[in-house]
Amino acid sequence: MAENKLKAKEQAFKELSSKDKTKKITDLLLNNAMYIIIILAVIYISVKVPAFLKLPSIVNVISLTAAKLPIALGIGGCIVLTGTDISAGRVVGLTACISASLLTTTFKVFPDMQSAPPIIVVLLMIIIAGGLVGLVNGFSVAKFKLHPFIVTLSTQLIVYGIILMYLMKGTNNGQTLSGLTDEYRSLITGTLFSIPTATGSVAVPKYVLYSIILVILMWVVWNKTTFGKNMFAVGSNEEAANVSGVNVSRTIIMVFVLAGMMYAVTGFLDGARIASANANTGLNYECDAIAACVIGGVSFVGGIGRISGIVVGVLLLQIIFTGLNFLAVDANMLYIIKGLIILIACAIDMRKYLVKK
Amino acid sequence: MKKKIALLLVAAMTVASLVACGNSAEDAPAAAETEAPAEEAPAEEAEAPAEEAEAPAAEGGSVAVFYYTYGDTYISSVRSALDAAFDAAGVAYQDYDSNNSQTTQTEQIDTAIAQGAKVLVVNQVDTGSDDTTKNIIEKATAANVPVIFFNRSVSEEVVTTYDNAVFVGTDYEMAGHMQGEMIGNYVLENYDTIDLNGDGVISYVMFKGQEGNAEADARTQYGVEDADAILTAAGKEALSFYDSANSNKYLVDQGGAWSAAAATDYLQTALSQYSEANNNMIELVIANNDEMAIGSVTALQNAGYNKEGATVIPVFGVDATDAAKDAIAAGSMIGTIKQDAEGMANTIAQIAQNFQGGADKFADVEADNVVGTWRVNIPYATYTGE
Repeated sequence: MAENKLKAKEQAFKELSSKDKTKKITDLLLNNAMYIIIILAVIYISVKVPAFLKLPSIVNVISLTAAKLPIALGIGGCIVLTGTDISAGRVVGLTACISASLLTTTFKVFPDMQSAPPIIVVLLMIIIAGGLVGLVNGFSVAKFKLHPFIVTLSTQLIVYGIILMYLMKGTNNGQTLSGLTDEYRSLITGTLFSIPTATGSVAVPKYVLYSIILVILMWVVWNKTTFGKNMFAVGSNEEAANVSGVNVSRTIIMVFVLAGMMYAVTGFLDGARIASANANTGLNYECDAIAACVIGGVSFVGGIGRISGIVVGVLLLQIIFTGLNFLAVDANMLYIIKGLIILIACAIDMRKYLVKK
Repeated sequence: MKKKIALLLVAAMTVASLVACGNSAEDAPAAAETEAPAEEAPAEEAEAPAEEAEAPAAEGGSVAVFYYTYGDTYISSVRSALDAAFDAAGVAYQDYDSNNSQTTQTEQIDTAIAQGAKVLVVNQVDTGSDDTTKNIIEKATAANVPVIFFNRSVSEEVVTTYDNAVFVGTDYEMAGHMQGEMIGNYVLENYDTIDLNGDGVISYVMFKGQEGNAEADARTQYGVEDADAILTAAGKEALSFYDSANSNKYLVDQGGAWSAAAATDYLQTALSQYSEANNNMIELVIANNDEMAIGSVTALQNAGYNKEGATVIPVFGVDATDAAKDAIAAGSMIGTIKQDAEGMANTIAQIAQNFQGGADKFADVEADNVVGTWRVNIPYATYTGE
């Protein structure tokens, strides 16, 4: 059956004129440009530095990708709505600080506390905190008809102010929060499973599992729920969605609340992963997350994007960074390469969209 | 027609994505502006009792203090200590957060002078620029207010052009020298334990906090050079950077934030390639500050090192933050260089009062620390646990 289909395709391809053939091949190459770039990058880097394809390095890339995935999954929804969310990094910072201040052995922010509250309570607290920031974002976008850029620019500043005030509380004096409890750290960075190799074993941290769960969760939300379908409807055409009975305001608010919750999870993971949190935690995280989404084909045009694309985008950025690090490329070049990748990805993305029209 | 629209759209998208990502840098000045009102409230509260307590301070106007960023851990400890010192002395003051932007800071200085500030205390954002310092001094000269620069270094030629300008800092190269000396001695004493693969060479990694910062440059250079000098004098091999392909011989925080996260990510990546199993393990970690040292400890711990009962890769930082002291006490970090935040704050407060009271500017300041007519050096100290 599959063979027949392939043959039919081959036949159809042969019947095309030579001009159409070139066009078809160019289209194919351009539409899959991101995958091609990933493969070329991996080949080039691993030829130069063979260790790049060894197990420890692969596990490293995967775990760094996992750490950066949740925030991108959250921000992706905002981009589908033709919006953006630049408060993401600061929400990560705030939630990381809250986690680190409570799940610790040295209570500097709350000097009166004797023992850390249950981890699940703290996790719920910060998810609520992240959701609240998302609620403010979503509400302002939906009800005041403001552009998300302006709204989240404002909340970004507000959240930063809150972080600074929070860190000055108690006896902390703006110091870095550390001394996290072992339960918290091992829950996040503990070993999920070890892969034995010839020279020892490579441990995969637990937060990789959490990221996979979040990816599945978000895939279900985006593809299998009414809310997900409404989100795409509002993103591609707000008017049409409204006319066809979608509650546009509620959808927008829910997308931002969900995004805020994802940032909170990122903060929760990052607090334990870095084992300390301060006012700079999370700074500029949204830039990489937005870049990853765009590279993964989540379009600012609205209504277009897939969870798999976001995963690919985050992975591509991480492969490039880690790879350039392996190649000992000058740090200044990193900015230029990153800029070019985003630019090219956007251009290709737009091209696809125009063809569809 | 279609093509034109396409081009326009691509251009728009590019701009949009650039704007989306450029914002975080651009929002810095904006952040400071919105924070200013929030910051005024506590400052005013502080002023009220000060006026009651000591009338001359109120008559003398307030002291305006400009911090390069509230986000910096060490600067935060200077800020708490300085606020406390001013409160205790009954001096009215107002704090500003320049949020890592020299533009913001310069504008804040204009505002403060316009408000009638009587002493400027400036933690300059751009350390590499004499022009910035000159600019600030010109403003101060025009308004006839004294300036106290602190923490981030400014150059002698510029500061000495104005009688009422002083610099309270540390000999910024000193931290690098002391760190290098501490590392050299430690490595020499424990050479065989540190040299995990027994090849007679210690391979190290250096984490630099930021490009274009005089402190970071000096620490990156002397942290290794001085250690090498001690090692070679004792007939040992000099330290060798773990990645021979990297000609810089350091890894720098891309965000310039001296952050723990940058060090964790770098070291995690490096450890995936360099390990005991591959016989090329990184045997020594040197960081420009304690944030990055702590970040390194985290990455090492995740790889099974620097815990109780495990092999300890020596990690060195600078600042002696609380987190670093805890790590040193727990044995997961070896040493750091202590900057005396309280000493710095008390000296600044003393000089500010001298200026206000018309006394000699260095009156009641520890004479050993005064350099010439323009500078006070707050000494560093090595810290390897108490």
